Amino acid sequence: MLSKTSLPKVFTIPTVAILLVLSMVPTVFAVIIALQNRVLGQPAMDFVWLSNFIDLFSDRRFLNAVWVSVKWEFVTVIATMTVAIVLGVLMFQYASPRMRNFYCLLFIVPVLLPRVSAAFVWKFAFHPLYGIVTYPIRAITGKPVDLLGNANAALYVVATVDVWQWGLLFAVIVLKLLETLPPQPLEAAQLDHARGWQVHYYITLPMLRAPLISLTFVKMIESLRSFDLIYVMTRGGPGVATETLDMYAFSQGFIEAGKVSYASSMAVLMMVATVVIFTILWKRVQ
Amino acid sequence: MIKTFGLSASLALTCLLSTSPLATALAQGLTCTQPIKVLAQPRDGLTLLENYQDEFKQLSGTTFQIDYLNENDRRAKSRADASTVGNYNVYYVDEANVALFASSDWIVPLTDYYPAEYDFADFDPGRQKVATYNDKVWFAPLTGGGDLMVYRKDLLEAAGVTPPTTLEEFEAAVVKLTDADNGIYGIALRGARGSGANVWRWMPYFKANGGEWFVDGKPAFNSEAAVKATETYLELFKYSPPGTQTGSWDESVGSFLSGQVALLVESTPLAGMAVDPNNSLVVDSVGFLPPPAPLPGGGYGHGLAIATKANADETAKQCAGLFVAWATSKEQEQRRLEAYQFGELNRTSIITSQMFADIYGPALGEALAATGKVTAVNFWQDARWPDLGDRWGIILEELINGTRTDVKGSLDELEAYANELLTQ
Repeated sequence: MLSKTSLPKVFTIPTVAILLVLSMVPTVFAVIIALQNRVLGQPAMDFVWLSNFIDLFSDRRFLNAVWVSVKWEFVTVIATMTVAIVLGVLMFQYASPRMRNFYCLLFIVPVLLPRVSAAFVWKFAFHPLYGIVTYPIRAITGKPVDLLGNANAALYVVATVDVWQWGLLFAVIVLKLLETLPPQPLEAAQLDHARGWQVHYYITLPMLRAPLISLTFVKMIESLRSFDLIYVMTRGGPGVATETLDMYAFSQGFIEAGKVSYASSMAVLMMVATVVIFTILWKRVQ
Repeated sequence: MIKTFGLSASLALTCLLSTSPLATALAQGLTCTQPIKVLAQPRDGLTLLENYQDEFKQLSGTTFQIDYLNENDRRAKSRADASTVGNYNVYYVDEANVALFASSDWIVPLTDYYPAEYDFADFDPGRQKVATYNDKVWFAPLTGGGDLMVYRKDLLEAAGVTPPTTLEEFEAAVVKLTDADNGIYGIALRGARGSGANVWRWMPYFKANGGEWFVDGKPAFNSEAAVKATETYLELFKYSPPGTQTGSWDESVGSFLSGQVALLVESTPLAGMAVDPNNSLVVDSVGFLPPPAPLPGGGYGHGLAIATKANADETAKQCAGLFVAWATSKEQEQRRLEAYQFGELNRTSIITSQMFADIYGPALGEALAATGKVTAVNFWQDARWPDLGDRWGIILEELINGTRTDVKGSLDELEAYANELLTQ
């Protein structure tokens, strides 16, 4: 009996221990640094405890970065899931099996592009004078339009690139999920003369609720890691219009001030907020 | 303007090589075992240097590897690397961060490890000055200089505008020359954040209005001069091409070289690019003058410095020093001159050579001489400058893009931050 109960522990304890070391060491280190006043290049440092955290709440750029991050999260997650579901359903409904394979191949390509390369390509595509995306506006109005230089538009323009990469990939996943559904409920609905959108709204999508929620969570986590895309396309600008929390933390830590403790306090706060919010959401969903 | 100088170039190089310090360095018996790792930003001169890997290997016994990042990324990464792991033997530093690197002991005094036969004194005195901090030389120049006003003769002639020599004339000309409907803009400026980006181009206006960073030992960043300079800069931005509001050197210079801009006050390497058919569409219609008075030129210099951490022992420092000396030697500059890399020339012996005059003509030489007289160090030479300059860069970018409108309030915020920095 003893061997039966202890065997799982034998296998799991080393793995869990390694995972704990890998995840906890940098986390604890980040928390310790956040409680100090370390600055790159200055050997002297002291514990200032919660001073960095208190300073954050009177820092206008930090408050702006929180707001930008929240907007970024909402915009990219909602838009990605909408694009994925709409395209997935359209492919399932109207495309032949051969065309579906073709679309799948096509839609996977954007996410295979390195993020930084994609960002550079799109940055040039949105150039006010030479960009292919802005060309129609130039042709119609005769005036160039600088979308990445517009504080009201820049975040949404960058979000478009994020959705282009992830929305199309998720559309393929949604299509494959739809193809795994049993055909009987769909055939029954068709016998009842249900319209196409009704079939999906009332039958297929509710049946896919669990995987779609999982995809949403995956995208929520992925959207928290969009530093490279935003950094290449706007560097957080114009001004601070697209400066997310991770970008501001990097900027304070390595670009501008070398205030690694201050940057670390942002990272810790972001980690705590993320864990709390995700836990609440996960429990509500369950 | 640019001609082929195959035979004369070969002869000149042969002469230089015959008196080369390479042989002397070989005789020193210095053998380097570890490859020299260099963190730099893209420069034509460094790209050219990579063609001569074998030459360096013969000289030192080792190779070198250069990793390139654009200016802001290079600054961020070199700062992070120097203060933590120290992976790189040689850093590309510039006028804005040399004080920080030197005072943090991230780099060592250059001349301690710069072999005498490479003749450091041959560098342009202005560039030597920028490379000096606290009476010690920290880097060997790869590029540097001041500002030039580069203008389109054809556009000015068509508009009946004489090349402006004062700021007032300049502002009036910018307005008159702008024809946005036909894709012509009076000026191009830098909008992107950064002490070396938008702030760099703003500083001459600050200084031209009598601005000083400190008055009686106290910060004076929100002075009347700063307000006036900012207002002028924002006003001029109305006549700058789309894309420059969030762009930097590449965008503003690119606009000029592609024929969209009539007047441009920029760092001197622009002059070489403007007359190079490989870079410029306006080769035949470019004129040069010093910046309109009283704008001072922005004295700057970039170069290679020896890292402290990655070069733990004396031999490693000597190897890094040998690389820096070889990379910035007369031989390399001669090669850059032959490759028409105007912006990569720093040595007096090269700039005053007959070949330089033959290639670039007398007008550019005269403009360079004239601009040298008005070139000044405009920034605050202090380790805290990058922090303060970058803070102002972000605020200025917000003003340029209209997310802020209160100029005085913005400068008050900068002043408060400067006071905070000084008390730390």
